[in-house]
Amino acid sequence: MEKSDKIKIHVSNLKKNFGSLEVLKSISADVTEGEVVVLIGPSGSGKSTFLRCLNRLEDITAGEVVINGVNIAEKNVDINKVRENIGMVFQHFNLFPHMTVLENIMLAPVELKKMTKEEAHAKGMELLKRVGLADKASVYPPQLSGGQKQRVAIARSLAMNPDIMLFDEPTSALDPEMVGEVLAVMKELAASGMTMLVVTHEIGFAREVADRVIFMDGGYIVEQGTPDEVIKNPKEPRTIDFLNKVL
Amino acid sequence: MAAILKTYSGMLLESLGQTMLLTLLSLAFAFVIGLIFGLMNVSKSKVLNFIGTLYVDAVRGVPLIVLAYFIYFGVPAGVKAMGVASFKLSALQAGTISLSMNAGAYMAEIFRAGIQSVDKGQMEAARSLGLGYGKAMQKVILPQAIRTMVPSIINQFIISLKDTSILSVIGFPELTKAGNIIVGNTFKVLEVWAIVAIMYMIVITILSKLAKRIERRLNVGKER
Repeated sequence: MEKSDKIKIHVSNLKKNFGSLEVLKSISADVTEGEVVVLIGPSGSGKSTFLRCLNRLEDITAGEVVINGVNIAEKNVDINKVRENIGMVFQHFNLFPHMTVLENIMLAPVELKKMTKEEAHAKGMELLKRVGLADKASVYPPQLSGGQKQRVAIARSLAMNPDIMLFDEPTSALDPEMVGEVLAVMKELAASGMTMLVVTHEIGFAREVADRVIFMDGGYIVEQGTPDEVIKNPKEPRTIDFLNKVL
Repeated sequence: MAAILKTYSGMLLESLGQTMLLTLLSLAFAFVIGLIFGLMNVSKSKVLNFIGTLYVDAVRGVPLIVLAYFIYFGVPAGVKAMGVASFKLSALQAGTISLSMNAGAYMAEIFRAGIQSVDKGQMEAARSLGLGYGKAMQKVILPQAIRTMVPSIINQFIISLKDTSILSVIGFPELTKAGNIIVGNTFKVLEVWAIVAIMYMIVITILSKLAKRIERRLNVGKER
C-alpha cells in the first residue's frame, strides 16, 4: 500500500504527570497516514502512557496532541467524536463479559447511531470473518481463548471504521502459542493501509511490519527510525542495552 | 393459640400484606435513591462526591425511628409553622418516605461497591469506542455491577422488611402493630408474639431461599 504524507497524528512537547511523577517529559512525534509505528522500551518508559494520551484515556498535562487536525489537549474538544475514529486494543482485552461476541462488536455503532441494528450485524459478521471467528458470534467472551478474545477485541474496535488503531501490548497477556494468530490479524490490518501505533515487546513483529520503530526510555523518545536503523544498528547506548536484554 | 388464629387470622394476614406493601414500595424508591447517590459517589466531581457522602452519612447516622417521627410529625409541623400550608402525611406515606430514605442510603453504598467491583478496563474499553460516560455506565458497567450486587440487595430487602416493624410507632397498620392490637384485646402476650414472630420468620425464610436460587442462577451465567 502506498504511504501518503498526510499527517494523522501530530504530537509536540507532550508532558504527562501522575501527581509529582513525570511519566512523559517531552514527547514530539508525527505519524502519517498508513504508517505503522512500533513503540518499544523498558517498562516504566512511558510508552503505554504515550499511547493512552493519544485518545485522552489519560489527561494531557501539557503540550499538543493533534488527531486529524483536532488538538485533543484542549478541554472543550468533543473527545467522544475523536475517539470514534481511534480504535484501541488493550493488553487484557476488556471484552464486555455480559454480551455475546457479536453484541460486543455491535454496541458502539448502534448506541452511537452510526448504523442500524441490521447494518451493525452485517458489519460485525464481516469483521468476525476477517479475524477468523465467524463461528463464535453468539458465544460469550469467557468461553474464548486469549487469542480469540484479542481477535474479537480487534474486530470490536474496527466496528466504528476508525482510521487510526492503537495497540497497547496486545500480546503480552497471551500464552505463547496464541501470539501468532493475533499478530497475523495485525499484519493483515497493517497491509490494508491502517495507521497503527503498537506498543509491544515482539521485536520480530517490529522488524517485519513496522515502518518506524520508536525506542522510549525515561519519558523521552531516545531513538527512532526504520527497523533496520533502530533494531539492527542502534546508535544510542540505552537502545543497545535494551535490545541486548530482549533479543 | 388456635382461638387467636381463628379470630384474628384475617387481621394478621392483612397486616402482613401491609408490611409487604411498605417493603416493596420502599425498596423500589430506595433502588432509585441508591442509584442516584451511588453514581454521585463514584463520579469524578468533588461536588457530587460531597453531596453523595453527605446524604449517606446523614441518613445512616439517624435511627429509623427518629427519622420516622421527624417525617411524620416534624415535617408537617414545620410546614405549618412557616404558614405555607397545612398538610398531613398518611402513615403509609411517611413510612414509605422514611424507609426509602433509610434503605436508599444503604443501597447507595451497595451501588458504589458494585460499580467499583467492575474492572476499570471495562470503562476504558467502552470510552475508547466513543461511548460517553453515561452510556458506558448504562450499557457496560451497571449490568455487570448489578449482577454482583444481587446478594446485597436481597440482604437489604430482608433488613428493610424487618425494619417496617419500627413504623408501627407512627400507627402504620403493619404486622407488629397488629400484634400490639391483638395483645391489647386478648392479653395473650406469649401466644400473639410467637405467632407474629413465626409469620416474619416464614416470609423471610422463603425470601432467603428464593434469593439463594437467583444468586445461583446468576453465578451459572457468570461462568458461561
